[in-house]
Amino acid sequence: MQLVEIRDVSKFYERGKLKVKALEGVSFDVAQGDFVSIVGRSGSGKSTLLNLVGGLDRATSGCIAFAGKDLTEMSRSELALHRRFSVGMVFQSFNLIPHRTALENVILALTFGRVPRRERKAKAESLLSLVGLEHRMDHKPAELSGGEAQRVAIARALANGPVALLLDEPTGNLDSTTSQEIMGIIERLNSESGITVLMVTHEQDIARTFSDRIVHLKDGRVTEGAPA
Amino acid sequence: MTLSDMVALAFDNLRRTKLRTSLTTLGVVIGIGALTSMVSFGTGMQRNITDAFKQNDLFTSMFVTSRPIDLEKIASGEPGEMAEMFKGPVSSLTDSTVLALRAVDGVEIAFPEISFPVKVRIDSNVTTTTLRALPAAMGQFKPYDHPTFGSFFTDDSAQSVVISWDVLKDLKLLVSDRKHPASAEPGDTSGLRAVEADSVLGHPIQVVSVVLDPSRMAGSMLGLLRPAGPPVREVSTTFNVVGILKRTSPFSEDEMRGGILAPLRSAEAIPRLGFSSVFDLLGGRVERGAYSTIYVRVKRIGDAQIVRERIEKMGLHVFSFADQLKEIRRGFLVVDAILGAIGTIALVVAALGIANTMVMSILERTREIGIMKAIGGSEGEIKMIFFVEAAVIGVLGALLGLLLGWGVTRAANLVVNMKLLPEGEQAINLFYFPIWLILGAIGFAILVSLAAGLYPAFRAARIDPVEALRHD
Repeated sequence: MQLVEIRDVSKFYERGKLKVKALEGVSFDVAQGDFVSIVGRSGSGKSTLLNLVGGLDRATSGCIAFAGKDLTEMSRSELALHRRFSVGMVFQSFNLIPHRTALENVILALTFGRVPRRERKAKAESLLSLVGLEHRMDHKPAELSGGEAQRVAIARALANGPVALLLDEPTGNLDSTTSQEIMGIIERLNSESGITVLMVTHEQDIARTFSDRIVHLKDGRVTEGAPA
Repeated sequence: MTLSDMVALAFDNLRRTKLRTSLTTLGVVIGIGALTSMVSFGTGMQRNITDAFKQNDLFTSMFVTSRPIDLEKIASGEPGEMAEMFKGPVSSLTDSTVLALRAVDGVEIAFPEISFPVKVRIDSNVTTTTLRALPAAMGQFKPYDHPTFGSFFTDDSAQSVVISWDVLKDLKLLVSDRKHPASAEPGDTSGLRAVEADSVLGHPIQVVSVVLDPSRMAGSMLGLLRPAGPPVREVSTTFNVVGILKRTSPFSEDEMRGGILAPLRSAEAIPRLGFSSVFDLLGGRVERGAYSTIYVRVKRIGDAQIVRERIEKMGLHVFSFADQLKEIRRGFLVVDAILGAIGTIALVVAALGIANTMVMSILERTREIGIMKAIGGSEGEIKMIFFVEAAVIGVLGALLGLLLGWGVTRAANLVVNMKLLPEGEQAINLFYFPIWLILGAIGFAILVSLAAGLYPAFRAARIDPVEALRHD
């Protein structure tokens, strides 16, 4: 069963009077439980594609169905619910709130997820334990290493039980050892919990090692890996 | 995200930027402080006047006059305007009118208004005041029911008087008893003789009135050429002091009450010049055996209007100070509006401060807003988070502002009472904080701060998450 169906998606940006093409006629599917990597050079449109699937942005044309629902037809508040409950996003730069501790960062996501106040702390603690961060929960992002920060981000992404993890260069700011650790966690989540993973990366090695399938993007078009 | 989550989040964010939050809140504090102290001054003035009206029974009192009284025309000072009043028909007020008025439904008491200037003499001291005639029946109403010292006269023909404490002071007597010690008197009491009230009560007092002296008018031509003084003569009548009245409110007018109160029949018997009250002077001469003014007191304040209409149907003119209060209130409305406007300006400036702070905060927290959106924060929730922050500043500012306003008005009141009040006057309360002002100020502050937070909150909600996440 296909979880994500991307059909003929294009995205153009207006930069002043200039129309910039980010994606053009992109089509491919991601099956439930799959681990799919989108590989391409910087500027190939892969982050844009991930933002469209994550509901952070809207396609100019085409349609993206997530679990059968068309994201392009959703209202802004429906998209917010999609981001909250259906997907969990992890970014290259971690995007943790700097003045909140690891625990508080996860709790914020649980707060948006309407988890009752008294259950939040325990749930956040168990999520942080899941990514092996039980000893650093009360530290702020600045006091954490890159690997630790990315673990917090993964714990936060898992907070409201998403069906898919959307990873935007999750190892881009990490050394190779830490990258392997992070990817290990993601692989485990994919294989053990059956969570669907859609990862954007420019590191071909990592993509080859961990994903079931690789989609290549170049200048906003799929060059390889789309279903026949 | 529930409202309590948003409030917690708002407090959290405000706590992080303590200095900025404090300064912005201070703006609201000053705004609300200014607004409440200004308005409380307006309401305080209004209350003082209304209280004075109440204490002087002006709401239950009205005056039936032989001619219409128009204070505005009198106040204008234009002879032409005033002459207008004296045209038109004159209704003759006689004892039968008094009886007819007593029979009107809702009237408690009615009696002719008689007051005239007299000299008062105790021992060798003399002063001038106004004598007012009152029926003994007035002894059941405030403040006559319980004079400060002694009691009210009980017989309309008694040779007894109730005298004002201030008139005794003019007679160099500082009257006191255990309940009202002389040492508690504010102001300069030097040159006064402190006496026990008991020694004045029952003491004889000379009331000196003035009558026309026909003998001095004889040989008038010569007298007019070389006047030996006015053609009048003084007549002295002896009364007993039975009660002493002391002013309780700084606004109660001695002149309204008369410095010395005498029983109706005894007062009528005092020989005097041919006018009986100040309205006579305004209205010109009235025929003999007629009164120019009859005092009417209604049973209940609520009856005043209907009783007035009943009397007017009898073809009589009615003047009541309660009508003037309406005018005064209209005047106060203007004063209140001006005072309120000044306070509101301060609050509006504070609101701009809130808006500025919120916009700054959003610029600083653009990335944070992006993150919140990425993890599922809806536009509504983000809008509310900033809205609640603005409201918290408003509520905090309102509460502290009320405290400031209260403190400032207390201090101002103290200064006024200590430095500006004429000596011997009772302390007054210039400011008044009714509950509607307190609740209104809080409500207004919240409203204004929410309005100030509206644009920033809207702007925060519409931030593009993709752009925001790229923001440094």
